[in-house]
Amino acid sequence: MRQRDSTPAGHHGGSPATVRVLLVEDDESIRRSVGMALDRYGYEVSAAPDGLTGLEMFRDGEHDLLLLDIMLPHLDGIGLCRRIRETSQAPILMMSARGDSMDVVAGLEAGADDYIVKPVDTTVLAARIRTLLRRATFTGHPTSDDRSVDDSVLTFRNLTVNTRGLDVHVDGRPLALTPTELRLLLEFVAAPGVALQRQTLLREVWDYGWDGDIRVVDLAVQRLRKKIGADHIETVRGFGYKFRR
Amino acid sequence: MRQTTDPAAPDTLSDPAPVRSALRRFADPRSLRWKVAAAACAMALGIGILVHQTTQNRSLGIARAGAVEDLGKAETAFRAGQPPQSHPATGAYYRMGDEVPDELRDRIGSGAGPVIWYDTRHPLRGYAMWAGSRVNGTLLAVSVDMGAEQRSLEALDRHMRYAALAMLAVVVPLTLLAAELLLRRLRRIAGTARRIKRGDLDARTAGRGHDEISEISSAVDLMADALRERLRGEQRFTADVAHELRTPLTGLVTSASLLPESEPTDLVRDRVQVLRALVDDLLEISRLDAGAERADAQPVPLGELVTDSLRRTGLETRVSVTGDPVTATDPRRLDRIVTNLILNAHRHGGPPVEVTVDGTTIVVRDQGPGFPPELIAHGPQRFRTGAAERGHGHGLGLTIALGQARVIGARLTLANADPHGAVATLELPDQDG
Repeated sequence: MRQRDSTPAGHHGGSPATVRVLLVEDDESIRRSVGMALDRYGYEVSAAPDGLTGLEMFRDGEHDLLLLDIMLPHLDGIGLCRRIRETSQAPILMMSARGDSMDVVAGLEAGADDYIVKPVDTTVLAARIRTLLRRATFTGHPTSDDRSVDDSVLTFRNLTVNTRGLDVHVDGRPLALTPTELRLLLEFVAAPGVALQRQTLLREVWDYGWDGDIRVVDLAVQRLRKKIGADHIETVRGFGYKFRR
Repeated sequence: MRQTTDPAAPDTLSDPAPVRSALRRFADPRSLRWKVAAAACAMALGIGILVHQTTQNRSLGIARAGAVEDLGKAETAFRAGQPPQSHPATGAYYRMGDEVPDELRDRIGSGAGPVIWYDTRHPLRGYAMWAGSRVNGTLLAVSVDMGAEQRSLEALDRHMRYAALAMLAVVVPLTLLAAELLLRRLRRIAGTARRIKRGDLDARTAGRGHDEISEISSAVDLMADALRERLRGEQRFTADVAHELRTPLTGLVTSASLLPESEPTDLVRDRVQVLRALVDDLLEISRLDAGAERADAQPVPLGELVTDSLRRTGLETRVSVTGDPVTATDPRRLDRIVTNLILNAHRHGGPPVEVTVDGTTIVVRDQGPGFPPELIAHGPQRFRTGAAERGHGHGLGLTIALGQARVIGARLTLANADPHGAVATLELPDQDG
């Protein structure tokens, strides 16, 4: 993962700090208009009209963020998301044209970090992208100088989290986490044994208010459990989650 | 989500109120069961009268024939010059001249006769059948005593009354019972129709059998099927339209944001936003209509959520929160309800708009003309604001608020304040947060 300045620069591409976004969308007018809008925010956008082309373009070039429509010809957004997750931990934002919540759940299960419902304001889209990129460039909780390096390495049975170096090991093997999963895990290890409300996690990690969808938290926790082992995170019914010491 | 339906059948006799209403229904003289009972009584009475009449006619016929025969004998005796005997057993017993009763005399008049007259002047002395004629200018009359016949007829009447009473004592309760079985089925059909009216489109009578009531019952079920199909069709159509509009609308929204700043651009963006809100509302309503929505409850600090919702509307709204209420509910749906109520108050009501949070009750109040009476009476109608003074717009916001309130199990009541202004009260289910 390249660390780039993600603030919309207001100037057009070409700067070394340019963030590259891969947009996969079958509707031409949306593809072009979203592309132009993101271009205005200073992102370098490459666009693909279908899932297979999108996958090819993803493999050919490096991208900092993926913006995927769910309904796509040849390979749909959910399948594409799953294929991308096999090799990459780049932030993925799904665009759902449908009001159908099952699409959203499937997208999040496939590894998407967040979703956005069409039609979407470009300002809202830009804000979501910024939040995702901030997570991707997150460098850990600020550690005061008097803390030794050892303090930043936390161990929970077979799980080791380095909160400064931001690497995670399970049974001594390095673990690849997406920025969202890593950010979520850091929230958990910062308060082991404390029940965290889903709404708190939604606010801290996703930057959502009360209008956010807590299913993104549930599904990210599910994915995290799959990677670090289910017994580390406990569900507190009707409330949220608790990280076991 | 399950549609909130009122307690389905009022047939349950577990608490006193339904018992009272069942009794009242039983005693209602307009009920079909009393009509059936009255028909049974009328039938018994009719048969009694018929038997009485037939018996009486028969005995009168016999008496008439006897009287005419006796008169014949008396005429023969009179012609032969025999004087009237004082006793019938001893020969021709008849009366003549002034002994003939006036009524019979009047009937014979100047004719020759014979004339028959049934004498009912003295019920206590017994009735008599008279026959009279004029022989050579002299009036002759004979009478047959009807006392015995009359008494036997009375005895017959008495027996029939007893028999009828005994029969009705058995038949009426049996009739009521039989009617009750039918009435119960009819009531179930009526109850189903009422549930359908209240919006429970899946209510069915599930009637069995092959009689006329089953015919009504299956007709109601078929009607409900057709109604549901039609409604579902319309809901599907709404959902499809909204879905189909989304893709072009997305392109439009994004493209509009790319336009260079100018007055026409502002106009276009404003209209595009309205269109977008409309499509979003339609989609939300079609999801609520589909009944697949499920609340995702978690502890929510109400004051914080309401303040957050208000801030996001960007409209000037006063808020006051009593205490620090926390309750388990679905925050996104609650946010939708509060936002819609506030937008509605600003759009159709008048400033200042005030929101108060007290315990699990959220009240949105404005100082405008209030809700139109039809809205309070029948609930919000889609795409109808009712009264012109509430301005133009659509009734989707309140429909959504009500629908979402149903999903989270809250009660949303719309009312008008005194002296003016609309009051929307949202009562969340009371529970420990």
